[in-house]
Amino acid sequence: MTERRRRSIFDLIDEYFENLEESVKRLRETLMEKPSWDRKACTIEPLRDISVTPTEVIVTVDLPYTEENTIRVKPLSKDVIEISAKMRRKISFDDFGITHYKGEFQTFHCQTRIPVPVYMDKMEVRFKRGILEIHLPRKNEYEIPIE
Amino acid sequence: MRNVKKTWGNCLEDVKIVEKKEIPSGCTMLFGFPDVGLVGVIAASHLISELNGLEEVAYVDSKLLPPLIVLHEGLPHSPIRIFGNHNILLAVSETAIPADVIYPIMYSLIDWGKSKNVKMMISLSGIPVQERQDIEELRVFAAASNVDVLKNVQELGIEILKEGYMVGPQAIMLQRCASIGVPAITLLAQCFFNYPDPEAAAEVLKGLTKIIGLKVDVSKLLEKGEEIRLKARDVMRRTQQELSKMKKTQEYDMPLYIT
Repeated sequence: MTERRRRSIFDLIDEYFENLEESVKRLRETLMEKPSWDRKACTIEPLRDISVTPTEVIVTVDLPYTEENTIRVKPLSKDVIEISAKMRRKISFDDFGITHYKGEFQTFHCQTRIPVPVYMDKMEVRFKRGILEIHLPRKNEYEIPIE
Repeated sequence: MRNVKKTWGNCLEDVKIVEKKEIPSGCTMLFGFPDVGLVGVIAASHLISELNGLEEVAYVDSKLLPPLIVLHEGLPHSPIRIFGNHNILLAVSETAIPADVIYPIMYSLIDWGKSKNVKMMISLSGIPVQERQDIEELRVFAAASNVDVLKNVQELGIEILKEGYMVGPQAIMLQRCASIGVPAITLLAQCFFNYPDPEAAAEVLKGLTKIIGLKVDVSKLLEKGEEIRLKARDVMRRTQQELSKMKKTQEYDMPLYIT
């Protein structure tokens, strides 16, 4: 028989507020309109996509002007990865014909939440035609036996 | 404010095509609207920069669109404009068209084109394919508004999209043209779903060249591929949201054959 640890009311309240904070953060990410660039950090947010297959989660990221050896993929927690990559050239607002903002960018940066449990330590990465592909094997935590 | 409560039939009255120049009769009308891979928009943008004398001849004025203008050299422009020369009319949108107004916008443009006696309408677009980055040679498919046009396209060596679902402005164009008797073709190059795809745009332009005999050099388009992908990020991001609203992934579905 497994031993269940008794949790104090304070633990439960902490957990409740942590969950609430997380939900608000997710809602804010979904609803808030924000630019795809950060002038202060000099970074551009790349386009990305996530697909979940029965065996793995595949994250793809569009990284034009990027050298493969500058790409960094870092797990930040059990369900968040951070991706950064340096471009071969600096991009300024002038390149887009925009003169009312000033700033230069040379780095792609984004964080992505992985929607199902995965093995972060078994991550595999490949880069082809300017598209980064991150493969994360899924953890099958909730297998229900069929009688 | 966008009046989404109206039926789309009434909404047609809310879409005006404002002509800035005299429109020649008997042109071929092309469409390059935001869709998967932004294939149509990238192809249209390349045509505007490559073809001589293609200038803005008309634009869409509609309260159904979001309160948005595009500034060029400090002057306001409609996000949906029609460029033209003596034999081509090219309708292009610089912003994602909201899913709920695609019908009235497309119907208005097609009916306007018919009133100008266009000889054919061709929509430039993409068809999403999984593992796109592993494909070296992209295939181009076509669907047409009637059997004769379809046969002509097939004789030119373009593959036919035989069965399946089509979602978006190009679907509406084909269906409307079929019902009002305007010959029409939708050209679709294999492309990324969510990422701007200049290579697919080059392929769809090669397909267009076969159909209307237009000479378009796509080498600059391919050279500037990375620059285009970077610049098109934000339009792609907005387009993704609209594609999701119009259930674009239905194009992956297996059709139910009813004969």
